[in-house]
Amino acid sequence: MATLRQRETLAAYGFLAPAYLIYLLFLAIPMVASLLLSVLEVDRLTLATQFVGWANFDWVLTDPRFWKTFGNTFYFIALAVVGNVGLGLGLAVLLDRNIPGPLLYLFRLAYFLPVLVSLAFVSFIWRFMFSFDLGAINYYIRMLGLPPVGWLTDKNVAMFSIVIIDVWKNVGFFVIILLAALQGVPRNLMEAARIDGASPFTALRRIKLPYIAPVILFCVTYATIGGLQVFDSIKIITDGGPGDSTRSVVMYMFSEAFSAGELGTGAASALTLLVVIAIVTAIQLTLGRRFAGR
Amino acid sequence: MSLAQASVTARVHSATRVIDWRNLPVMIVLGIGAIFMLLPFLWMFATSMRPASEAYQLPPSFLPTRLNFDAYAAVLDSPLPFLRMYLNSFIVAAATTIGVVVSSAMAAFAFSRLRFPGSSLLFGLLLVGLMVPHALVVIPLFYGMAAAGLLDSLWSLILPGLASPLAIFMMRQFMEGQPREYEEAAFIDGASYWTIFWRISLPQMGPPIAALSIIVFTSSWNNFLLPLIFVRKFEVMTLPVGLLGLSDSFGALSLSVIMAAVTMCVLPLLVVFLVAQRFIVESIASTGIKR
Repeated sequence: MATLRQRETLAAYGFLAPAYLIYLLFLAIPMVASLLLSVLEVDRLTLATQFVGWANFDWVLTDPRFWKTFGNTFYFIALAVVGNVGLGLGLAVLLDRNIPGPLLYLFRLAYFLPVLVSLAFVSFIWRFMFSFDLGAINYYIRMLGLPPVGWLTDKNVAMFSIVIIDVWKNVGFFVIILLAALQGVPRNLMEAARIDGASPFTALRRIKLPYIAPVILFCVTYATIGGLQVFDSIKIITDGGPGDSTRSVVMYMFSEAFSAGELGTGAASALTLLVVIAIVTAIQLTLGRRFAGR
Repeated sequence: MSLAQASVTARVHSATRVIDWRNLPVMIVLGIGAIFMLLPFLWMFATSMRPASEAYQLPPSFLPTRLNFDAYAAVLDSPLPFLRMYLNSFIVAAATTIGVVVSSAMAAFAFSRLRFPGSSLLFGLLLVGLMVPHALVVIPLFYGMAAAGLLDSLWSLILPGLASPLAIFMMRQFMEGQPREYEEAAFIDGASYWTIFWRISLPQMGPPIAALSIIVFTSSWNNFLLPLIFVRKFEVMTLPVGLLGLSDSFGALSLSVIMAAVTMCVLPLLVVFLVAQRFIVESIASTGIKR
């Protein structure tokens, strides 16, 4: 006869079984397999494997193309984080006023709808909006008497266009998080500031923004980690071009593993990405603790 | 203050106060921004209503001048099985949602209501899973799926989507905030753990289950990477990649047909949003606040 304690333990493992079985099969084992793959050379036809040590990492880390895609990714992140979190914060501050209900509903719809819709779908819309000859945007630029812009064909502009799409799609997500944070600032703090004669702008700068700093930091980290994995939009809209000017790290991994059939180097580049994500997360945790400890 | 409370106070304020006209400039700025956010969707819909010959005509239109569903008929008549892909997307998204909700609710129940050895270790493992980029797991998954003979089947799209550490986190966080008295009373009355979970815990979890379902359903509906890698046949394809094939097969000539297809793909998401906007907004807001 099992004791009550043993029964509870048994039940707990039973309840955890489905989730952890899935976790094991589709996350944990593939992750370990990736670790192994990164030190193997795999024959793409026979799948015969051979231990090659650091050779895959050597290949990836000395491949100028890999560093080019890494540079592109960080360029994308720098612009996308500023756009998403900066614009998101601006909009959240504006929405944090007393706005009539029906209007607020419409604003929420407008700013949040793109968040729900996949880039795989809206990329088609943007591809035509940005089209050089027939696009809507260049039409209005020409109407102003300005020369048309090669939104997706000029290699100095293409990444910028990708960022515009990214901000359009994701800014609503950050608006909602930041707005909730702003509304969580205790009312008595704001009341005290008002009585002390602080202007609304001073109150925002000196009280609200410092109060929600941890949430802003969360948004920056979240946008950075998401940006490191940027893939769908670029794959559909420019496929990395023109030249390699918009190719991201995940696209590099994808083409190594699935187009070139180099599983080992694909895994090695994915692992390098994981290390970078871990570092970003660690920095965020440290900074977050400093904020919280104040 | 939680967002739920914040929105309650906001509602009370707007009910009791008249419109504050000093905020008019703010409303105008936000309104212009909102119009720009919606323009791509308006253009999509207006273009889908244009006859194929006028689709590229400039100036672009943002409001349809007449109702013309030819392009929609052309999508359904296309050589690619659009309706089949639509159905596939529904099946994959629905199966993923049910699987994630049930498995994560069960795991959350164990973590927040039962005591057992290894609890914190197992929970810590989830943290690792949260950080893993998709890019890292798709290569081995591809070969695993191939070995199991699951490539080119809907299973290859459903199964990987079921692994969701984030869902377990969300559900556990919610359960921790719920009172335990009912469950304890039922236990003393001799109810089994399964009965307690199924009859008492689960019915209390309505709101987070609704929020989680929406998040899981939309992200599955939108998933691009898995069908791109795991599926070749259009009979088992889902919409995000299927749309790419559709646009290739029609070429650049039929902009209105492609926009009709995009409109049909976006429609369920719009419906989900209109029905459940409060749940979505509140659940996302809470991810940033809870720490």
